Amino acid sequence: MILLFLTSGLFLGWSLGANDASNIFGSAVGSRMISFRKAAIIASVFVIIGAVLQGSGASVTLGKLGAVNAIGGSFTVALAAGVTVYLMTKFSLPVSTTQAIVGAIVGWNIFTGNQTNIKTLTEIISTWISGPLLGALFAVILYIILKALKKHSSIHLIRFESYVRTGLVIVGAFGAYSLGANNIANVMGVFVPAFNLNDLDLGIITLSSSQQLFLLGGIAIAAGILTYSNRVMEVVGNQIMELSSDAALVVVLAQAFVLFIFSSSAFSSFIERTGLPPFPMVPVSSTQVIIGSIIGIGLYKGARNINFRIVGDIAKGWVLTPVASGLTAFFSLFFVKNIFNINVGTAIAEKGSPILRSTASSTSARGISEIMSFLITGLLAVGIIIVVLYYFAERKRKNELRKSEEKFWRNLK
Amino acid sequence: MALFTRTTKNLILKIDEFFDNIDLGLLVFREGIKSYLDKDMDAFERHIRKVEQLESNADRLQRSIENEMITNSILPQHRGEVSSLIDVLDEIIDTIKSTLNEFRIETPDIPASLNHNFISITESSISAGEELIPAARAYFKSPYTVREKLLKVYYFESETDKVSRETRRVIFQEMNDLDLARKSHLRYIINHIEKISDNAQKAADLLSIMAIKILM
Repeated sequence: MILLFLTSGLFLGWSLGANDASNIFGSAVGSRMISFRKAAIIASVFVIIGAVLQGSGASVTLGKLGAVNAIGGSFTVALAAGVTVYLMTKFSLPVSTTQAIVGAIVGWNIFTGNQTNIKTLTEIISTWISGPLLGALFAVILYIILKALKKHSSIHLIRFESYVRTGLVIVGAFGAYSLGANNIANVMGVFVPAFNLNDLDLGIITLSSSQQLFLLGGIAIAAGILTYSNRVMEVVGNQIMELSSDAALVVVLAQAFVLFIFSSSAFSSFIERTGLPPFPMVPVSSTQVIIGSIIGIGLYKGARNINFRIVGDIAKGWVLTPVASGLTAFFSLFFVKNIFNINVGTAIAEKGSPILRSTASSTSARGISEIMSFLITGLLAVGIIIVVLYYFAERKRKNELRKSEEKFWRNLK
Repeated sequence: MALFTRTTKNLILKIDEFFDNIDLGLLVFREGIKSYLDKDMDAFERHIRKVEQLESNADRLQRSIENEMITNSILPQHRGEVSSLIDVLDEIIDTIKSTLNEFRIETPDIPASLNHNFISITESSISAGEELIPAARAYFKSPYTVREKLLKVYYFESETDKVSRETRRVIFQEMNDLDLARKSHLRYIINHIEKISDNAQKAADLLSIMAIKILM
């Protein structure tokens, strides 16, 4: 039963992959610099690595916003957010998964009579403004630097594009890693308190309970990327503003930087040491950051390049997402509680760490640990097989192209 | 990655070689016309053979460049324009070849008094083409300088127009001893030589837009 509850988180992960991967590789795929298949494979691999290695920072903050203290509640909250994201994605609107999950958690707080931690909520909402602004700032600075480099180096256009393409792959991988690290909290954050799995030894790495959940969430995100992100990539890549290849690189780099600084505890403590206020470890909306970056470059090049109608639609989506997700969560909780008689959580009376308290209702059954370990190992094996198959398929395609080219010239002679 | 770098390098070399072919074709055309006017038919034949070889090489390079750009997805956003540019440049060497072949087949009888005019038309038409090549190369390396280089192309194109207009006027209004068929034939040959600068202007228009787009 508990694993069944997890499916809503996996669904949310799938939605996030379908929607947010477009933020990382949308500009590269939209500008035709990288094929969708290549982008999807790179994004999938690095999202999983980021989620497992660095996913814990932002999920703690999300736990503080509202400690969903029953697995039924976690299920409903993730489902409400997932449905919201899925529907918005279906209409090709780049929607923020962060906003959806925050809206759903607030919905849970209201339903169960818990008080929303205003400080954390403000911290998160403030990044909805500072994220895009920082993205725009980084984008403009990087764009100016890149343009100056291009102008003074007199590099051949074709060579420059080949560097940009390589850069897009590297930065895209970094962006995917940051997305995994930062946004896995949205997918699995609400489940972390409810699971207490045995450590899983994979030979090269031992995964803790939360890391196993993050890995599973990462795989769900990867599935979303591979199966459904193509359409939104086109929107991000082309509709707001037609991006040149170098602008595409800058946009992805700016987004990766912003996501990274909001999920790296090392960077945060470094800033703190310099006497500045530390960056909050918050799941930032990659959608907002990427759109901020694109608009930043658009404004720098002259505002007429921007399609403001699309920007307006996206902005409407930003307001609509948390509200819709919150309302969906509220009414779904009502149904789940009153019709299916499932405990969705209770009001928390005493003060203290919500994460610790919520583990009271967590599961540590040995059977579940075993199922999870089989599931994870199986999925990893399938993933590796897909990547290897892709590699050989690409090689075969290239060889066939080369042969047909040689044949053409031979016949022409 | 190493494979990709090699592809990039090969493509750059091919584009450079293509431009060299056009440049050399223009040079050989000038020499070809001069040797025809000097009635040095051996040299003229040699120049025709050279132009044919350059034209066939340019065709091969054109196909190869377009193929490589598509199969390796190089310059996805500018591929169409670069292909069009190479097409127009290829038209220049095609015109050179066909014009020289017309001289060979039709052996136009050019009065000695018009030799100077024909050389002038050829010189200015060829100069328009010659000034185009550095601008086309600059598109790939320093697009900021493309437009200033193109000014000379437009200048030589209008010079060609002026000289050929004047030559046509002389043929039709002052050379009454020539019959109409011969006059028409000379006009036809002039139009052909003029076509080189017209093609250069067409390429210059395209390059000028391409340069703006890449700088945006």
